[in-house]
Amino acid sequence: MEKTRAVVIADAEPIIHLDELNSLDLLADFGKVIIPETVWNEVERHRPQALSCSGVKLIRQRAVHFSAQVDALTPFYTLHAGEQEALHLCCEFKNSLLLTDDTAARLAAKNLGVAAHGTLGVLVRAIRQQTRSIPEVLKLLRAIPTQTTLHIRAALLAEVISDVEKNVKEVYK
Amino acid sequence: MSTLIKTEIPDQLWQQAQNMVEQGWIDNMDALIAEAMRRYIESHQQTISERFIREDIDWGLHGKD
Repeated sequence: MEKTRAVVIADAEPIIHLDELNSLDLLADFGKVIIPETVWNEVERHRPQALSCSGVKLIRQRAVHFSAQVDALTPFYTLHAGEQEALHLCCEFKNSLLLTDDTAARLAAKNLGVAAHGTLGVLVRAIRQQTRSIPEVLKLLRAIPTQTTLHIRAALLAEVISDVEKNVKEVYK
Repeated sequence: MSTLIKTEIPDQLWQQAQNMVEQGWIDNMDALIAEAMRRYIESHQQTISERFIREDIDWGLHGKD
């Protein structure tokens, strides 16, 4: 498994959803996985077992440098404390990647020029990184409605699964 | 036209909202709740969420990191 250099700063939802799918180890091939202090506390409240997953090293870190841009965007996007701290850390670690399933946090990240992806992206990336087989990833995608608390419109999920199947046939044939 | 709703809100959040109303930042609690809902809906539009999901799939399959 080849590690990428990217530093991931994670929001609570993807950590919780990946753990619900027993797939937190899919983050292990990133350079570092940082959980902001506020997010850590949030995950600890809702799904503490995720923080002791042996498949990936999660680094608990408090933001020390605060970006005025993040502060300015906070009321506009009604960002939660965890999302705010994650974005402050993203500004601190240049070229980091924000992991979030929250639309407003992603919009704020776009505004800041920060790359952002969510749980679905990480699951599908496992095919590219060869950390899961294609059938395994498709099985995980299908398990989202029953095994996780991630909300996604059923028709959209079906479309996503069909797109992935079609794409992998073309790319990995 | 409006709809009457019944909801459960954490005490601390309710207290903060009440303080804002008392300090005159907003007319009343009804207006505050409606404004909070409007802001949430604006920043979580379905089309944007779906676009992000499609971007995720593309990154997952073809991204570099």
